[in-house]
Amino acid sequence: MSGFFWTSSHLGWGIFALLVFTALWWLLTDLVWRLTNVRIQRLIAMMAGGWIVGVGLVVAGFRVFGG
Amino acid sequence: MTILIVQIVVLVVLVVGILLLVRHFPYPSPLVRHWLPPHKRWPERQIRDWLKSGRYHRGFLAYFYRDPERVPPPGVDLLAPADGPITSADVRDGIRYVVIALSFWDMHVQRSPLAGRVVSVTAHGEDFMDGEGREFAFLREKPCPVQKRIVLATQLGEVAVRLITSAAARRIETWVAVGDSVERGQRIGRILLGSTVVLELPADVALRVKVGERVRAGETVVADAGYTP
Repeated sequence: MSGFFWTSSHLGWGIFALLVFTALWWLLTDLVWRLTNVRIQRLIAMMAGGWIVGVGLVVAGFRVFGG
Repeated sequence: MTILIVQIVVLVVLVVGILLLVRHFPYPSPLVRHWLPPHKRWPERQIRDWLKSGRYHRGFLAYFYRDPERVPPPGVDLLAPADGPITSADVRDGIRYVVIALSFWDMHVQRSPLAGRVVSVTAHGEDFMDGEGREFAFLREKPCPVQKRIVLATQLGEVAVRLITSAAARRIETWVAVGDSVERGQRIGRILLGSTVVLELPADVALRVKVGERVRAGETVVADAGYTP
């Protein structure tokens, strides 16, 4: 994971992708909450599940392509 | 170094987006407002807060004051005077009162149901109606919701449109005066940030709409005129 956080004078692509994904996911969660009538507990569970899958994909992608 | 700068810019933009979200919560942030339907873009609670503070979101006011063109359907049948759902259409003392309840997100310009001549424009009431009294509160002598009643002499007889305010509204504009001739579907007034419009018709007029149905000012036929021109 050496290049995950920092690599050749810029942020590692792994942590960068993780931060971007997390921020966008948060904004998307807000939008979904406003556009649908889903119960808040269900929405949190759904979006948390999606976030974990996303983080998994980012880490896996970093290992396959970036590591 | 360039990559680092680009990364920082991207992250700063995202942080600003999240800060906007947190700052405006529970109301929508300006970033997502555009994507939401009007009643979610400006939630009722937020509008009621604005009513208390007297400071409104500029986008909401622009939306509220919209005055779109409307094309009346051909014929002479009676048109809805306002946008909104019909909450009652009962008969009392020989008059059918068709009550249209406007929400904050409905278009608030009222239109003439028929062609005719303005017989009177009178102001009544000293109290403000707050939604619940919509049924026949407007008929009470005192206290009675603030309202303006425009009476038109038409081929059908006298037809009246009452523009009634809510606690939130407190202002009514009428754009016609006694003696004016009005066309079917012509703009006759506007309620600012309120509330209810009542169409008074002769009791024997055949209604073409049901309670609960949404109507559009100057476009939806609400009753048969009962004659052919």
